[in-house]
Order: sequence, then C-alpha cells, then structure tokens
Amino acid sequence: MLGPFINAITSNSFQTIAQNTDACVKIETALKAVGRPAFTLMDKNTDKDTRKYAAVKELLYQLLCFGIYIAIIPPIFKNGGFKLAQKIFKKEGLPAFQNAKQMLAYHHLAYMTPAQRMLDKNKKFRDLIPATLVNPKDNNAILLEYLIGNEKKGIKPLLKGTMEKQGKMFELAKGSIELSSIIGSVIGLTILAPEISHLILHPIMNALHLKPDENGAVSTDSQSKSSSSEQKFLDKQA
Amino acid sequence: MSGFVYNQLKKICESLGRHNDALYAVLAIAMFKGVMRPTFTMMDKESDPKSKKYAAFREGLTEAIAFGSYLATHNMVLPLAVPLARKTGASPKKIKNGLSLLSVCLTAGVVIPVVCNLTLKPIMDGVSKLYNKKDKSFGQKLDIKENTTQLPLASAIYSPKLSENSKNLLNTVRITSIQNYGMKVGG
Repeated sequence: MLGPFINAITSNSFQTIAQNTDACVKIETALKAVGRPAFTLMDKNTDKDTRKYAAVKELLYQLLCFGIYIAIIPPIFKNGGFKLAQKIFKKEGLPAFQNAKQMLAYHHLAYMTPAQRMLDKNKKFRDLIPATLVNPKDNNAILLEYLIGNEKKGIKPLLKGTMEKQGKMFELAKGSIELSSIIGSVIGLTILAPEISHLILHPIMNALHLKPDENGAVSTDSQSKSSSSEQKFLDKQA
Repeated sequence: MSGFVYNQLKKICESLGRHNDALYAVLAIAMFKGVMRPTFTMMDKESDPKSKKYAAFREGLTEAIAFGSYLATHNMVLPLAVPLARKTGASPKKIKNGLSLLSVCLTAGVVIPVVCNLTLKPIMDGVSKLYNKKDKSFGQKLDIKENTTQLPLASAIYSPKLSENSKNLLNTVRITSIQNYGMKVGG
C-alpha cells in the first residue's frame, strides 16, 4: 500500500509537476472547482435552493479562473517572463533557449537517469531540444550531448548530480520561468479573474435562470433602492 | 537595473530554480488576494461604507484562513517524509516534494472549504455583534451568508415571476442573502 504511493509521488512526472508552478496552480484551481461546490452543497445549515445557487456560482467562478489562467499564464507570463529574464541575465551566459518550453524540456530530462532519457515516451522532450543549442560557459558544448551523450565523439551522458555540481542545470533560467509564473498567477487570479468574472458570471447565471426576478429585487421606496444597490455591490464581489 | 536589485532577483531565480515548492505560488495568491480584494472593495465609491467594511473584512478573513490552512497542512505533512523514506528507501527530498504538492491539493480541495464552513459564520457573527455596539447598522442590512438558514424565499430564485409581496424590503434583503451565500475563497 505504502510502496505504490511512495513510488507514485517520487516518480519523475510527479516531481516535475511538483516543481512546476504552472501545473500546481492548474491542479489547485481544478480541485477548487470540484471541492468548493461540493462542500457548499453539503452545508446542512442552509436551505437546498440557496446551496444550489451558491454551488453553481462557485463552480462557474472556479472554471472561469481556470480558463483565464490557461489563457494568460503560458503565453504571456511564462514565455514573456522567460524572454525578459534572458535579456536581464544576458551576461550570465545562459544558453539561447528559444522559449520556456524548450528550457523546461531540458530540465525535465536532466532530472532523469541517462537510461530514462532515452525511453520512447521521452522522445517528445528530446525532440524539443535542437542539436545546435550550446552552453556558452562550457566552450559551446552541445546541450543535447549532456543528456544523451554522443557515441561517435565518445561523450557519455551526464548524471543529474554531476550536472548540478557543474552548473549545467541552469537554475537561473528555470527559476525565472517559475518566478514569472508565480507573478502571472497572482495577477491572473487576484486581479483579472474577479474583474472578468464580474462581467461574465452574472449573465451566465441569468441565462441559467439562477437570478431573482428584477421585480422582486427592486422596490420603489428609498430603503429598497439602497438594498438593491448593496446587492449590486455584493454581486460585484462574487 | 541597479546592482542590488539585479543580485536579489538573481538569488530568487536561482533559489526557485533549485527548489520550487508548490506552496510558494498558492501562498502568494492567498496573500495578494487577502490584500487586494479588500482594497478594491474599499475603493468602490458607489457603495455604502458599512457594506464595504463588512465585505472587505469577510474577504480578508477568508484569505487569512486559506493562508493559514496552507501553512498548517504543509507543516503537518512534511515531518512524515523522513519516516516514510526510512520505511521505503526512497529519497526524502523527493518524498517532501511529493507530499508538499499533495498537501496543497488537499488544502485547496478539502481543508479550506471545511474550515471556512466551520469558522466564518461564528467569527462574522462575533465581529458583527462587537461592531453593532458601536454602530447598529453594521452587517444587518447586509447579511451575506450568516442568516441564510431561515430563508423562506430561497425558492424564489428559480421562479421567473414573484408575488407582489416580493417588492418589499425584507424580500429584497433576503434575496441579497441568497445571491451572496457561498465561500468566495480564492486562496
């Protein structure tokens, strides 16, 4: 029981996900989309219709956050942040990775044993790294040869520990991707998602007929007007 | 870019490159939401100041609960890494990374909703009572979730037409309660 669980959480794929901000936030948002409506529905202190309404609203909001996240983080913050970091850290002699995906593929393979790197399932990662990509700090050595070696030249692939010691993991480049992803997640989920959800969520709720009738919500006397404006205000916060 | 900023940025990036915990992103999100959302709420000039205070406090509180829950579960789960590594022979560092991601998932999906369900109502009730001593209108017109347990008009949200009675203030306030029921946690 314990063995398979530990094998699962220490597997390379799980470790890559655990070290990747983008993947972690996606998983977290997806879980929120399931967990929160479920717990809202389970709250027995509230009547059934109210629970339904709140659960649907919660579900839609989290799905919207997920969509916004997917739409803005990888193209804008992950790649944009990486490009910016390459400019800022120009004098650090980083390899000329074309994009964040290429760097992450290198990092993913570097974490594996040389035998694992050669497996068919990892071909997609190997293919992302061009044979022309070199390390300026190591006499323009080819990066792909660090990972899979070169029999003709008699070069053996490097182990993860060796690469870490020799500074061939390019932590600076990897960290810049993670930092820009964290910044993007904060901006996306803190500022953009609530604002966009305010524009989209209520029309969707209305379309689903999950809104009180306008006649019921608005009254002619001044007190009711005040309450109606509060309702509008609080809806904005949803 | 000045030398100091450059060096600090480089340090942060290198540190994140060596080890990026799943916790960092979710803590950053919870912290910024806890600050930004109440700030935006308080900046809304169209709304009643008392309503704003109530909503802002509630938002800040939910994010504080989220922040605390992430930290608490993380600190509870991580000490398990060493005994698990001894039992299974796996790398403690890898187990820590895995457990960290699992704790974040567990907290987001289960712990925060449960803690919010259990604690938000009593805390908001307590604060409303305290505030009502100074200002009786705080939280009364504005019940978001707390009084939704007795809502005879809850079914009204599914009715396209409401009765004449629905025009009175009481109903309006009740419907407000229905619309704003829920966790609205973003941490």
